[in-house]
Amino acid sequence: MADLSVDLGFCRLKNPLIPASGTFGYGEEFSPFMDLDILGALVLKGIYKDARPGNPPPRLCETPAGLLNSIGLAGPGADELQNVIRHLGAATRTPIIVNVCGQDDGEFAEVAAIFAAMPEVAMLELNISCPNVKKGGVCPAQDDKHTFRLVKLVKAHINKPLIVKLSPNAVDIVAVARSAQEAGADALSLVNTFLGLAVDLEKRRPVFANTLAGLSGPAIKPLALKLVWEVCRQVRIPVIGMGGITSGRDVLEYILVGAAAVQFGTVNFCEPAAAVRILAELEKEMERLQINSLAEIKGKLQV
Amino acid sequence: MQDESGRIEETRCLGENYYLLKINTPLIAREAKPGNFVMVRVSPSLDPLLRRPFGILQSDPPHIWLYFQVKGRGTTLLKNHQCGDRLDILGPLGNFFPELPGKKILLIAGGRGIVPLFGYAKTHAAQQPLVLLYGGRSAADLHLLAELGAMPLHKSHIFSEDGSCGEKGLLTSGLEKIITEQRPDATMACGPEAMLAALAKMLKAKKMENYVSLEAMMGCGFGVCHSCVVTAADGRYRKVCDEGPVFPLEEIRWPT
Repeated sequence: MADLSVDLGFCRLKNPLIPASGTFGYGEEFSPFMDLDILGALVLKGIYKDARPGNPPPRLCETPAGLLNSIGLAGPGADELQNVIRHLGAATRTPIIVNVCGQDDGEFAEVAAIFAAMPEVAMLELNISCPNVKKGGVCPAQDDKHTFRLVKLVKAHINKPLIVKLSPNAVDIVAVARSAQEAGADALSLVNTFLGLAVDLEKRRPVFANTLAGLSGPAIKPLALKLVWEVCRQVRIPVIGMGGITSGRDVLEYILVGAAAVQFGTVNFCEPAAAVRILAELEKEMERLQINSLAEIKGKLQV
Repeated sequence: MQDESGRIEETRCLGENYYLLKINTPLIAREAKPGNFVMVRVSPSLDPLLRRPFGILQSDPPHIWLYFQVKGRGTTLLKNHQCGDRLDILGPLGNFFPELPGKKILLIAGGRGIVPLFGYAKTHAAQQPLVLLYGGRSAADLHLLAELGAMPLHKSHIFSEDGSCGEKGLLTSGLEKIITEQRPDATMACGPEAMLAALAKMLKAKKMENYVSLEAMMGCGFGVCHSCVVTAADGRYRKVCDEGPVFPLEEIRWPT
Protein backbone atom coordinates (compact mmCIF):
# COMPACT_ATOMS: atom_id res chain seq x y z
CA MET A 1 0.00 0.00 0.00
CA ALA A 2 1.21 3.49 -0.86
CA ASP A 3 2.57 5.77 1.84
CA LEU A 4 -0.03 8.51 2.31
CA SER A 5 1.74 10.29 5.14
CA VAL A 6 2.90 13.86 4.70
CA ASP A 7 5.58 15.85 6.46
CA LEU A 8 4.80 19.42 7.40
CA GLY A 9 8.22 19.83 8.98
CA PHE A 10 6.83 20.55 12.43
CA CYS A 11 4.58 17.49 12.37
CA ARG A 12 3.73 14.45 10.32
CA LEU A 13 0.18 13.70 9.25
CA LYS A 14 -0.95 10.19 8.41
CA ASN A 15 -2.51 11.45 5.20
CA PRO A 16 -2.89 14.81 3.44
CA LEU A 17 -6.67 15.17 3.89
CA ILE A 18 -7.78 18.10 6.05
CA PRO A 19 -11.36 19.38 6.06
CA ALA A 20 -11.27 23.17 5.60
CA SER A 21 -12.42 25.73 8.11
CA GLY A 22 -16.06 26.73 7.87
CA THR A 23 -17.03 23.55 6.10
CA PHE A 24 -16.59 21.02 8.87
CA GLY A 25 -18.37 22.73 11.75
CA TYR A 26 -16.73 21.78 15.03
CA GLY A 27 -15.92 18.26 13.90
CA GLU A 28 -18.50 16.21 15.73
CA GLU A 29 -21.26 17.11 13.25
CA PHE A 30 -19.48 14.71 10.89
CA SER A 31 -19.05 11.79 13.28
CA PRO A 32 -22.30 10.16 12.05
CA PHE A 33 -20.69 9.91 8.61
CA MET A 34 -17.12 8.91 9.32
CA ASP A 35 -14.55 7.97 11.90
CA LEU A 36 -12.83 11.32 12.45
CA ASP A 37 -9.59 9.41 13.01
CA ILE A 38 -9.29 8.72 9.28
CA LEU A 39 -8.46 12.39 8.64
CA GLY A 40 -4.94 13.77 8.41
CA ALA A 41 -6.07 16.70 10.56
CA LEU A 42 -9.17 18.87 10.79
CA VAL A 43 -9.75 22.60 10.94
CA LEU A 44 -12.58 23.98 13.02
CA LYS A 45 -14.87 26.78 11.95
CA GLY A 46 -13.22 30.19 12.43
CA ILE A 47 -13.50 31.71 15.89
CA TYR A 48 -13.43 35.21 17.35
CA LYS A 49 -13.14 36.14 21.02
CA ASP A 50 -16.87 36.83 21.29
CA ALA A 51 -19.90 35.20 19.72
CA ARG A 52 -20.87 36.59 16.34
CA PRO A 53 -24.23 36.42 14.60
CA GLY A 54 -22.80 36.49 11.07
CA ASN A 55 -24.22 38.30 8.08
CA PRO A 56 -27.92 38.81 7.33
CA PRO A 57 -29.55 36.30 4.98
CA PRO A 58 -29.41 35.44 2.14
CA ARG A 59 -26.02 33.87 2.80
CA LEU A 60 -25.73 31.47 -0.09
CA CYS A 61 -26.05 31.53 -3.85
CA GLU A 62 -25.32 28.51 -6.01
CA THR A 63 -23.27 29.04 -9.16
CA PRO A 64 -22.27 26.55 -11.86
CA ALA A 65 -20.20 23.91 -10.03
CA GLY A 66 -19.70 26.29 -7.14
CA LEU A 67 -21.27 28.45 -4.53
CA LEU A 68 -21.00 31.95 -3.25
CA ASN A 69 -21.27 32.38 0.49
CA SER A 70 -21.59 35.35 2.75
CA ILE A 71 -21.84 33.66 6.13
CA GLY A 72 -19.70 36.23 7.92
CA LEU A 73 -18.00 33.91 10.40
CA ALA A 74 -20.99 33.28 12.64
CA GLY A 75 -19.79 31.50 15.74
CA PRO A 76 -20.11 30.94 19.47
CA GLY A 77 -17.00 32.76 20.74
CA ALA A 78 -13.78 31.49 22.31
CA ASP A 79 -15.18 30.40 25.70
CA GLU A 80 -17.74 28.04 24.24
CA LEU A 81 -15.37 26.68 21.62
CA GLN A 82 -12.92 25.64 24.33
CA ASN A 83 -15.57 23.33 25.77
CA VAL A 84 -16.32 21.95 22.32
CA ILE A 85 -12.63 21.26 21.74
CA ARG A 86 -12.30 19.41 25.05
CA HIS A 87 -15.06 17.04 23.93
CA LEU A 88 -13.66 16.72 20.44
CA GLY A 89 -10.16 16.08 21.75
CA ALA A 90 -11.50 13.20 23.80
CA ALA A 91 -13.34 11.79 20.77
CA THR A 92 -10.54 11.77 18.19
CA ARG A 93 -6.79 11.40 17.89
CA THR A 94 -6.76 13.44 14.69
CA PRO A 95 -4.80 16.70 15.11
CA ILE A 96 -7.16 19.61 15.72
CA ILE A 97 -6.43 22.93 14.05
CA VAL A 98 -8.17 26.05 15.35
CA ASN A 99 -8.92 28.73 12.78
CA VAL A 100 -8.27 32.04 14.51
CA CYS A 101 -10.06 35.27 13.60
CA GLY A 102 -9.88 38.81 14.93
CA GLN A 103 -11.44 42.18 14.37
CA ASP A 104 -8.03 43.74 14.88
CA ASP A 105 -4.46 42.55 15.38
CA GLY A 106 -4.83 42.45 19.15
CA GLU A 107 -7.84 40.14 18.98
CA PHE A 108 -6.04 37.78 16.59
CA ALA A 109 -3.20 37.51 19.12
CA GLU A 110 -5.53 37.11 22.08
CA VAL A 111 -7.62 34.37 20.46
CA ALA A 112 -4.50 32.58 19.21
CA ALA A 113 -3.02 32.58 22.72
CA ILE A 114 -6.21 31.12 24.22
CA PHE A 115 -6.24 28.14 21.88
CA ALA A 116 -2.49 27.62 21.70
CA ALA A 117 -2.66 26.98 25.44
CA MET A 118 -5.04 24.06 24.99
CA PRO A 119 -3.36 20.62 24.94
CA GLU A 120 -6.07 19.33 22.59
CA VAL A 121 -5.06 21.85 19.92
CA ALA A 122 -2.21 20.72 17.64
CA MET A 123 -1.77 23.93 15.67
CA LEU A 124 -3.47 27.15 14.66
CA GLU A 125 -4.56 28.54 11.36
CA LEU A 126 -4.62 32.32 11.13
CA ASN A 127 -7.65 33.41 9.13
CA ILE A 128 -6.47 36.66 7.65
CA SER A 129 -8.33 36.02 4.42
CA CYS A 130 -12.07 35.85 5.00
CA PRO A 131 -13.77 38.07 2.40
CA ASN A 132 -17.11 38.21 4.20
CA VAL A 133 -16.42 40.28 7.26
CA LYS A 134 -15.69 43.78 6.03
CA LYS A 135 -17.49 45.52 3.22
CA GLY A 136 -15.68 45.06 -0.07
CA GLY A 137 -13.96 41.89 1.15
CA VAL A 138 -11.01 43.73 2.68
CA CYS A 139 -8.80 41.50 4.83
CA PRO A 140 -5.19 41.58 6.16
CA ALA A 141 -4.05 38.98 3.60
CA GLN A 142 -4.48 41.51 0.82
CA ASP A 143 -1.53 43.48 2.16
CA ASP A 144 1.96 41.99 2.62
CA LYS A 145 2.99 44.54 5.25
CA HIS A 146 -0.10 43.99 7.37
CA THR A 147 0.38 40.25 7.03
CA PHE A 148 3.98 40.50 8.24
CA ARG A 149 3.03 42.63 11.24
CA LEU A 150 0.14 40.41 12.22
CA VAL A 151 1.94 37.09 11.84
CA LYS A 152 4.89 38.41 13.85
CA LEU A 153 2.57 39.56 16.64
CA VAL A 154 0.64 36.28 16.80
CA LYS A 155 3.79 34.18 16.74
CA ALA A 156 5.04 36.09 19.77
CA HIS A 157 1.93 35.02 21.69
CA ILE A 158 1.93 31.29 20.94
CA ASN A 159 4.10 28.25 21.23
CA LYS A 160 2.36 26.11 18.64
CA PRO A 161 2.78 25.83 14.87
CA LEU A 162 1.01 28.56 12.93
CA ILE A 163 -0.51 28.11 9.49
CA VAL A 164 -1.37 31.36 7.74
CA LYS A 165 -4.38 31.18 5.43
CA LEU A 166 -4.00 33.36 2.36
CA SER A 167 -6.46 35.12 0.13
CA PRO A 168 -6.67 34.73 -3.64
CA ASN A 169 -7.90 38.30 -3.73
CA ALA A 170 -4.48 39.79 -2.93
CA VAL A 171 -2.91 41.66 -5.81
CA ASP A 172 0.32 39.71 -5.26
CA ILE A 173 -0.26 36.54 -3.28
CA VAL A 174 3.40 35.54 -3.58
CA ALA A 175 4.46 38.75 -1.83
CA VAL A 176 1.97 38.08 0.97
CA ALA A 177 3.17 34.49 1.23
CA ARG A 178 6.79 35.61 1.54
CA SER A 179 5.84 38.16 4.19
CA ALA A 180 4.07 35.49 6.22
CA GLN A 181 7.11 33.23 5.92
CA GLU A 182 9.53 35.98 6.94
CA ALA A 183 7.34 36.83 9.92
CA GLY A 184 7.59 33.27 11.18
CA ALA A 185 4.65 31.35 9.72
CA ASP A 186 5.26 27.61 9.97
CA ALA A 187 3.06 26.84 6.97
CA LEU A 188 0.67 28.50 4.56
CA SER A 189 -2.78 27.43 3.49
CA LEU A 190 -4.31 28.72 0.29
CA VAL A 191 -6.65 29.73 -1.03
CA ASN A 192 -9.63 31.11 0.78
CA THR A 193 -12.66 31.97 -1.39
CA PHE A 194 -12.51 34.22 -4.44
CA LEU A 195 -14.52 37.43 -4.26
CA GLY A 196 -17.55 37.23 -6.49
CA LEU A 197 -20.76 39.10 -7.19
CA ALA A 198 -24.22 37.63 -7.53
CA VAL A 199 -26.97 39.76 -9.05
CA ASP A 200 -30.69 39.61 -8.43
CA LEU A 201 -32.01 40.65 -11.84
CA GLU A 202 -35.61 41.11 -10.68
CA LYS A 203 -34.65 43.46 -7.87
CA ARG A 204 -31.72 44.94 -9.82
CA ARG A 205 -29.62 44.60 -6.70
CA PRO A 206 -26.78 42.40 -5.46
CA VAL A 207 -28.02 39.16 -3.91
CA PHE A 208 -25.91 39.67 -0.80
CA ALA A 209 -26.14 42.47 1.75
CA ASN A 210 -22.34 42.85 1.64
CA THR A 211 -22.52 43.07 -2.18
CA LEU A 212 -19.56 40.73 -2.66
CA ALA A 213 -19.30 37.14 -1.45
CA GLY A 214 -16.79 34.28 -1.50
CA LEU A 215 -16.79 31.74 -4.33
CA SER A 216 -15.75 28.15 -3.62
CA GLY A 217 -16.26 24.69 -5.07
CA PRO A 218 -15.00 22.87 -8.15
CA ALA A 219 -15.46 26.04 -10.25
CA ILE A 220 -12.38 27.62 -8.63
CA LYS A 221 -10.01 24.65 -8.85
CA PRO A 222 -7.90 25.76 -11.83
CA LEU A 223 -7.53 29.25 -10.37
CA ALA A 224 -6.58 27.97 -6.94
CA LEU A 225 -4.23 25.34 -8.32
CA LYS A 226 -2.38 28.04 -10.24
CA LEU A 227 -1.93 30.16 -7.10
CA VAL A 228 -0.75 27.17 -5.06
CA TRP A 229 1.75 26.32 -7.79
CA GLU A 230 3.07 29.90 -7.87
CA VAL A 231 3.42 30.17 -4.10
CA CYS A 232 5.00 26.73 -3.69
CA ARG A 233 7.80 27.75 -6.03
CA GLN A 234 8.55 30.86 -4.01
CA VAL A 235 8.48 29.79 -0.36
CA ARG A 236 10.43 27.34 1.81
CA ILE A 237 7.67 26.51 4.26
CA PRO A 238 5.02 23.87 3.54
CA VAL A 239 1.90 24.88 1.67
CA ILE A 240 -1.51 23.35 2.25
CA GLY A 241 -3.43 23.67 -0.99
CA MET A 242 -7.16 24.03 -1.35
CA GLY A 243 -9.85 25.06 -3.77
CA GLY A 244 -12.44 22.85 -5.40
CA ILE A 245 -11.07 19.50 -4.30
CA THR A 246 -13.66 16.75 -4.70
CA SER A 247 -11.65 13.66 -5.65
CA GLY A 248 -8.48 11.66 -5.09
CA ARG A 249 -7.22 12.89 -8.44
CA ASP A 250 -7.65 16.49 -7.31
CA VAL A 251 -5.53 15.78 -4.23
CA LEU A 252 -2.71 14.37 -6.37
CA GLU A 253 -2.83 17.42 -8.65
CA TYR A 254 -2.31 19.74 -5.69
CA ILE A 255 0.57 17.61 -4.35
CA LEU A 256 2.13 17.57 -7.82
CA VAL A 257 2.17 21.37 -8.01
CA GLY A 258 3.94 21.46 -4.65
CA ALA A 259 1.37 21.30 -1.85
CA ALA A 260 2.41 19.31 1.21
CA ALA A 261 -1.21 18.56 2.15
CA VAL A 262 -4.67 19.68 1.08
CA GLN A 263 -7.84 21.05 2.56
CA PHE A 264 -11.22 20.28 1.04
CA GLY A 265 -14.27 22.30 1.88
CA THR A 266 -17.38 22.80 -0.18
CA VAL A 267 -17.64 19.11 -0.98
CA ASN A 268 -18.36 18.49 2.72
CA PHE A 269 -21.67 20.32 2.31
CA CYS A 270 -22.79 18.20 -0.64
CA GLU A 271 -21.40 14.92 0.60
CA PRO A 272 -20.76 14.66 4.33
CA ALA A 273 -18.76 11.45 3.93
CA ALA A 274 -16.61 12.97 1.17
CA ALA A 275 -13.39 12.36 3.12
CA VAL A 276 -13.98 8.61 3.14
CA ARG A 277 -14.49 8.50 -0.62
CA ILE A 278 -11.62 10.87 -1.42
CA LEU A 279 -9.23 8.84 0.75
CA ALA A 280 -10.23 5.61 -1.01
CA GLU A 281 -9.85 7.28 -4.40
CA LEU A 282 -6.46 8.66 -3.45
CA GLU A 283 -5.16 5.20 -2.56
CA LYS A 284 -6.58 3.73 -5.75
CA GLU A 285 -5.16 6.46 -7.96
CA MET A 286 -1.73 6.14 -6.38
CA GLU A 287 -1.83 2.41 -7.01
CA ARG A 288 -2.93 2.93 -10.61
CA LEU A 289 -0.23 5.52 -11.24
CA GLN A 290 2.36 3.44 -9.35
CA ILE A 291 3.08 6.23 -6.89
CA ASN A 292 4.58 4.74 -3.74
CA SER A 293 4.48 7.85 -1.60
CA LEU A 294 3.19 11.40 -1.85
CA ALA A 295 6.71 12.67 -1.19
CA GLU A 296 7.69 11.01 -4.47
CA ILE A 297 5.52 13.36 -6.54
CA LYS A 298 5.42 16.48 -4.37
CA GLY A 299 6.28 19.52 -6.49
CA LYS A 300 7.22 17.37 -9.47
CA LEU A 301 5.03 19.13 -12.01
CA GLN A 302 7.04 19.27 -15.24
CA VAL A 303 6.57 22.60 -16.95
CA MET B 1 -29.15 10.71 10.22
CA GLN B 2 -28.15 8.58 7.26
CA ASP B 3 -26.59 9.19 3.86
CA GLU B 4 -28.42 6.56 1.90
CA SER B 5 -28.72 5.61 -1.74
CA GLY B 6 -32.48 5.52 -2.24
CA ARG B 7 -34.22 3.75 -5.11
CA ILE B 8 -37.17 5.43 -6.79
CA GLU B 9 -40.05 2.97 -6.90
CA GLU B 10 -42.88 5.18 -8.07
CA THR B 11 -43.20 8.54 -9.79
CA ARG B 12 -46.49 10.32 -10.14
CA CYS B 13 -47.29 13.59 -11.88
CA LEU B 14 -50.10 15.44 -10.09
CA GLY B 15 -51.08 17.88 -12.79
CA GLU B 16 -48.92 20.72 -13.92
CA ASN B 17 -45.60 21.03 -12.09
CA TYR B 18 -46.39 18.87 -9.06
CA TYR B 19 -44.84 15.45 -8.53
CA LEU B 20 -44.83 12.60 -6.06
CA LEU B 21 -41.89 10.24 -5.63
CA LYS B 22 -41.89 7.04 -3.66
CA ILE B 23 -38.35 6.19 -2.66
CA ASN B 24 -37.04 3.07 -0.99
CA THR B 25 -34.77 4.32 1.81
CA PRO B 26 -35.12 1.84 4.67
CA LEU B 27 -32.71 3.54 7.07
CA ILE B 28 -34.12 7.04 6.60
CA ALA B 29 -37.75 5.88 6.50
CA ARG B 30 -37.31 4.00 9.78
CA GLU B 31 -36.11 7.13 11.61
CA ALA B 32 -38.29 9.79 9.95
CA LYS B 33 -40.86 11.74 11.95
CA PRO B 34 -43.56 14.12 10.66
CA GLY B 35 -41.86 17.43 9.94
CA ASN B 36 -38.40 16.01 9.14
CA PHE B 37 -36.81 16.70 5.78
CA VAL B 38 -34.13 15.20 3.55
CA MET B 39 -31.37 16.62 1.36
CA VAL B 40 -31.45 15.05 -2.10
CA ARG B 41 -28.64 15.00 -4.63
CA VAL B 42 -30.63 15.63 -7.78
CA SER B 43 -27.74 14.93 -10.15
CA PRO B 44 -24.56 12.86 -9.85
CA SER B 45 -22.57 15.65 -11.54
CA LEU B 46 -20.89 18.61 -9.85
CA ASP B 47 -23.40 21.00 -11.39
CA PRO B 48 -25.67 21.64 -9.63
CA LEU B 49 -23.38 21.20 -6.70
CA LEU B 50 -25.64 21.34 -3.70
CA ARG B 51 -28.30 18.92 -2.58
CA ARG B 52 -31.83 20.20 -2.35
CA PRO B 53 -34.04 20.11 0.75
CA PHE B 54 -37.40 18.35 0.53
CA GLY B 55 -39.90 17.81 3.30
CA ILE B 56 -40.91 14.21 3.86
CA LEU B 57 -44.57 13.93 2.94
CA GLN B 58 -44.93 10.57 4.54
CA SER B 59 -42.73 7.84 5.89
CA ASP B 60 -43.98 4.36 5.28
CA PRO B 61 -40.94 2.16 5.99
CA PRO B 62 -39.03 1.18 3.92
CA HIS B 63 -40.32 4.07 1.82
CA ILE B 64 -40.50 7.82 2.07
CA TRP B 65 -42.70 9.95 -0.15
CA LEU B 66 -41.65 13.31 -1.50
CA TYR B 67 -44.14 15.81 -2.93
CA PHE B 68 -42.74 18.79 -4.75
CA GLN B 69 -43.48 21.56 -7.17
CA VAL B 70 -41.10 22.16 -10.07
CA LYS B 71 -39.73 25.62 -9.44
CA GLY B 72 -36.14 25.63 -10.69
CA ARG B 73 -33.22 23.61 -11.91
CA GLY B 74 -33.03 21.19 -8.99
CA THR B 75 -36.68 20.24 -9.02
CA THR B 76 -36.61 19.95 -12.84
CA LEU B 77 -33.76 17.46 -12.60
CA LEU B 78 -35.52 15.57 -9.84
CA LYS B 79 -38.79 15.19 -11.74
CA ASN B 80 -36.91 13.76 -14.72
CA HIS B 81 -35.80 10.73 -12.72
CA GLN B 82 -37.42 7.39 -13.51
CA CYS B 83 -38.44 4.37 -11.51
CA GLY B 84 -35.35 2.35 -10.66
CA ASP B 85 -33.05 5.40 -10.53
CA ARG B 86 -31.03 5.88 -7.41
CA LEU B 87 -30.66 9.12 -5.49
CA ASP B 88 -28.23 10.03 -2.70
CA ILE B 89 -30.43 11.10 0.18
CA LEU B 90 -29.34 12.54 3.50
CA GLY B 91 -31.82 12.36 6.34
CA PRO B 92 -33.96 12.44 8.26
CA LEU B 93 -32.94 15.98 9.13
CA GLY B 94 -34.22 18.72 11.39
CA ASN B 95 -36.74 18.56 14.18
CA PHE B 96 -40.42 17.69 13.90
CA PHE B 97 -43.82 18.81 15.06
CA PRO B 98 -44.34 18.11 18.76
CA GLU B 99 -46.57 15.41 20.13
CA LEU B 100 -49.50 17.08 21.88
CA PRO B 101 -51.52 14.13 23.18
CA GLY B 102 -55.25 14.69 23.54
CA LYS B 103 -55.10 18.25 22.23
CA LYS B 104 -57.24 19.54 19.41
CA ILE B 105 -54.94 20.78 16.67
CA LEU B 106 -55.63 23.03 13.71
CA LEU B 107 -53.36 22.13 10.79
CA ILE B 108 -52.91 25.09 8.42
CA ALA B 109 -51.37 24.31 5.03
CA GLY B 110 -50.77 26.76 2.21
CA GLY B 111 -50.07 24.95 -1.09
CA ARG B 112 -46.90 22.85 -0.77
CA GLY B 113 -47.09 23.58 2.93
CA ILE B 114 -49.19 20.45 3.17
CA VAL B 115 -45.98 18.39 3.14
CA PRO B 116 -44.98 18.32 6.83
CA LEU B 117 -48.62 18.39 7.96
CA PHE B 118 -49.71 15.44 5.83
CA GLY B 119 -47.54 12.99 7.76
CA TYR B 120 -48.64 14.49 11.05
CA ALA B 121 -52.29 14.13 10.07
CA LYS B 122 -51.77 10.55 8.95
CA THR B 123 -50.08 9.46 12.17
CA HIS B 124 -52.20 11.43 14.63
CA ALA B 125 -55.72 11.68 13.18
CA ALA B 126 -56.88 8.47 14.84
CA GLN B 127 -55.63 9.52 18.28
CA GLN B 128 -56.72 13.12 18.59
CA PRO B 129 -59.04 15.67 16.93
CA LEU B 130 -57.31 17.31 13.96
CA VAL B 131 -58.89 20.11 11.97
CA LEU B 132 -57.39 20.82 8.54
CA LEU B 133 -57.31 24.21 6.88
CA TYR B 134 -55.78 23.82 3.40
CA GLY B 135 -55.62 26.50 0.75
CA GLY B 136 -53.98 27.44 -2.54
CA ARG B 137 -54.38 29.67 -5.55
CA SER B 138 -56.56 27.16 -7.41
CA ALA B 139 -57.50 23.50 -7.57
CA ALA B 140 -54.26 23.00 -9.54
CA ASP B 141 -52.31 23.78 -6.35
CA LEU B 142 -54.33 21.52 -4.08
CA HIS B 143 -53.55 17.85 -4.25
CA LEU B 144 -53.78 14.85 -1.99
CA LEU B 145 -57.36 15.76 -1.14
CA ALA B 146 -58.46 12.17 -1.65
CA GLU B 147 -55.73 10.89 0.67
CA LEU B 148 -56.55 13.56 3.24
CA GLY B 149 -60.23 12.73 2.92
CA ALA B 150 -59.50 9.12 3.80
CA MET B 151 -57.98 10.15 7.12
CA PRO B 152 -60.25 10.34 10.19
CA LEU B 153 -59.88 14.12 10.43
CA HIS B 154 -62.25 15.91 12.77
CA LYS B 155 -63.01 18.52 10.11
CA SER B 156 -61.52 19.85 6.84
CA HIS B 157 -61.79 23.31 5.33
CA ILE B 158 -60.50 23.81 1.79
CA PHE B 159 -59.93 27.24 0.27
CA SER B 160 -58.83 28.41 -3.17
CA GLU B 161 -58.25 32.00 -4.23
CA ASP B 162 -60.10 31.52 -7.55
CA GLY B 163 -62.91 29.41 -6.09
CA SER B 164 -62.05 26.38 -8.24
CA CYS B 165 -61.90 24.15 -5.17
CA GLY B 166 -63.57 24.50 -1.78
CA GLU B 167 -64.46 27.98 -0.53
CA LYS B 168 -63.28 31.00 -2.48
CA GLY B 169 -60.67 33.14 -0.79
CA LEU B 170 -57.42 33.07 1.11
CA LEU B 171 -57.23 30.41 3.78
CA THR B 172 -56.51 33.13 6.30
CA SER B 173 -59.99 34.52 5.59
CA GLY B 174 -61.46 31.38 7.16
CA LEU B 175 -59.15 31.25 10.15
CA GLU B 176 -61.05 33.44 12.61
CA LYS B 177 -64.32 31.60 12.06
CA ILE B 178 -62.73 28.16 12.32
CA ILE B 179 -60.96 29.07 15.56
CA THR B 180 -64.18 30.42 17.02
CA GLU B 181 -66.12 27.30 16.04
CA GLN B 182 -63.51 24.63 16.69
CA ARG B 183 -61.59 26.12 19.64
CA PRO B 184 -58.33 24.30 18.92
CA ASP B 185 -55.62 24.04 21.59
CA ALA B 186 -52.80 24.43 19.10
CA THR B 187 -52.00 25.25 15.49
CA MET B 188 -49.36 23.80 13.18
CA ALA B 189 -48.72 25.66 9.96
CA CYS B 190 -46.62 25.57 6.83
CA GLY B 191 -46.85 27.69 3.70
CA PRO B 192 -45.64 30.86 1.98
CA GLU B 193 -43.99 33.45 4.19
CA ALA B 194 -46.75 36.03 3.63
CA MET B 195 -49.33 33.51 4.81
CA LEU B 196 -47.30 32.64 7.90
CA ALA B 197 -46.75 36.31 8.71
CA ALA B 198 -50.50 36.91 8.46
CA LEU B 199 -51.13 33.91 10.73
CA ALA B 200 -48.63 35.20 13.27
CA LYS B 201 -50.48 38.50 13.38
CA MET B 202 -53.88 36.86 13.70
CA LEU B 203 -52.85 34.31 16.30
CA LYS B 204 -50.87 36.72 18.46
CA ALA B 205 -53.66 37.47 20.88
CA LYS B 206 -55.01 33.92 21.03
CA LYS B 207 -54.03 31.62 23.83
CA MET B 208 -52.85 28.63 21.84
CA GLU B 209 -49.63 26.81 21.17
CA ASN B 210 -48.61 27.68 17.63
CA TYR B 211 -45.93 25.96 15.57
CA VAL B 212 -44.64 26.66 12.12
CA SER B 213 -42.46 24.71 9.70
CA LEU B 214 -40.13 26.92 7.64
CA GLU B 215 -38.40 26.56 4.30
CA ALA B 216 -34.99 28.02 3.54
CA MET B 217 -32.23 27.76 1.02
CA MET B 218 -29.75 25.29 2.46
CA GLY B 219 -26.16 24.42 1.74
CA CYS B 220 -25.67 21.33 3.86
CA GLY B 221 -28.91 20.64 5.77
CA PHE B 222 -27.21 19.46 8.97
CA GLY B 223 -26.06 22.61 10.71
CA VAL B 224 -22.57 23.10 9.35
CA CYS B 225 -22.72 25.81 6.70
CA HIS B 226 -24.90 28.33 8.59
CA SER B 227 -26.57 29.50 5.39
CA CYS B 228 -30.24 28.87 6.18
CA VAL B 229 -30.73 31.34 9.00
CA VAL B 230 -33.92 33.21 9.80
CA THR B 231 -34.28 36.07 12.22
CA ALA B 232 -35.86 35.15 15.52
CA ALA B 233 -38.07 37.45 17.56
CA ASP B 234 -35.11 38.22 19.85
CA GLY B 235 -33.12 39.42 16.82
CA ARG B 236 -30.80 36.42 16.80
CA TYR B 237 -30.38 34.12 13.85
CA ARG B 238 -31.70 30.58 14.01
CA LYS B 239 -30.70 27.83 11.61
CA VAL B 240 -33.72 26.33 9.87
CA CYS B 241 -31.92 23.05 9.20
CA ASP B 242 -30.93 21.92 12.67
CA GLU B 243 -32.72 24.30 15.03
CA GLY B 244 -35.89 23.86 12.93
CA PRO B 245 -37.54 23.55 10.52
CA VAL B 246 -40.32 23.58 13.15
CA PHE B 247 -40.38 26.62 15.45
CA PRO B 248 -42.92 28.07 17.84
CA LEU B 249 -44.66 30.70 15.70
CA GLU B 250 -43.90 33.52 18.13
CA GLU B 251 -40.17 32.74 18.11
CA ILE B 252 -39.80 34.03 14.56
CA ARG B 253 -39.61 37.68 13.57
CA TRP B 254 -42.17 38.08 10.79
CA PRO B 255 -42.14 40.84 8.16
CA THR B 256 -44.70 43.52 8.92
